[in-house]
Amino acid sequence: MSSSSEHAEQHHETDGGESDDGMVHSHISSLKLYVGIFLALIFFTVVTVAVSYVHLGSLNLAVAIIIASIKASLVVTFFMHLKYDNKFNSLMFVCGLLFIGVFFAYTLNDTDRRQNELNDVQGNKVYLGEVNDKQAPGGFEPKAEPAHSGSMGEEHKDEKAAPHH
Amino acid sequence: MTSEAATADAHEPKEGEEHDHGHGHDHPKYLAHHFDTPAQQFDAAKIGMWAFLVQELLFFSGIFVAYGIFRSWYPEMFSAASHQLNRLMGAGNTIVLLFSSLTAALAVRSAQLGQKKHTSTFILITILCAFTFLVVKYFEYHHKFEAGLLPGQYFHPDHHHLVAGSPELPANSHIFYSLYFMATGIHGVHVAVGIGVFIWIWRRNERGDFSKDYYTGVDLTALYWHLVDLVWIYLFPLLYLID
Repeated sequence: MSSSSEHAEQHHETDGGESDDGMVHSHISSLKLYVGIFLALIFFTVVTVAVSYVHLGSLNLAVAIIIASIKASLVVTFFMHLKYDNKFNSLMFVCGLLFIGVFFAYTLNDTDRRQNELNDVQGNKVYLGEVNDKQAPGGFEPKAEPAHSGSMGEEHKDEKAAPHH
Repeated sequence: MTSEAATADAHEPKEGEEHDHGHGHDHPKYLAHHFDTPAQQFDAAKIGMWAFLVQELLFFSGIFVAYGIFRSWYPEMFSAASHQLNRLMGAGNTIVLLFSSLTAALAVRSAQLGQKKHTSTFILITILCAFTFLVVKYFEYHHKFEAGLLPGQYFHPDHHHLVAGSPELPANSHIFYSLYFMATGIHGVHVAVGIGVFIWIWRRNERGDFSKDYYTGVDLTALYWHLVDLVWIYLFPLLYLID
């Protein structure tokens, strides 16, 4: 396997890129590189398991995500060939990550403020601690007073007000 | 209609003249007539695949965002609930998937080198790893069902089956298991789909569809498989390794 593959590799590498004969000339990584990347991935898996036994408080999550991201970038760069690939594919991938970031940032910016800020500022009661089958976590009880909008709103107000008197 | 026929005619003799390029490669039966060159066809396929993979990432990001929301609300519950997951099985499955990613990458390498036999072998090892992953997953799910650690309203923890010495499960632990089953379930479906596609690619390889000039099917399937691996790389620490 090795002698024939080495030859083919050299052929491809000297050929690749420059000659424009319309044929597919992909970069062919060496067996050594692939096995090396695999061993690095195993190493980082062991590290992430080991670190999970060390109590670092909230840092544990950050460390786990950083290690996972190192592993992910190894997979994307070498196993998925983005390093040698058409740069447009990398651009698409990075844009995808960017939008995932937007998804996280905007959503958590809302949900993480519900109990403290939204409760105080808007007077909404947010279900967080007391979760049961009727109250979806993160949902909130709308304020009792109905919206004032036109005659419909006015009628509602009368109906609601009636039983009190 | 007439213009289409005209271009089709114009391409016809060109395919026959391939030998004139003088590269000694075979008559490219694999080249679809709406592409000028094999390289152009390959690049187009790759761009399409990456668009699909990015869509997959966005698809999975929904479950990760849900995870982020609930974990930031109930950190203690997540810690308690994750103690019921089997770290050894999770770590073992991680290694199995990483190894299958290696063999998938090596299958592509063999295809690039035109080593048909090696390509088949590496694809078969990858499929075997995928099955191993699902079998381990089955045993994990089996324990969760026995212990009543199920999503939402089906959550009814049975203390005889819980992991000994683990912290008390808070009432809202069902949220964790909803996320666990949703995330690993969707991921498991992707593994199963991967097995199917790899079997098809293995058959095509055996049939002699691929060569060192044309191995798009092997390459794209491996890309998909690496993505499945990528998602698991995040799922493993986030679900199994919480404090």
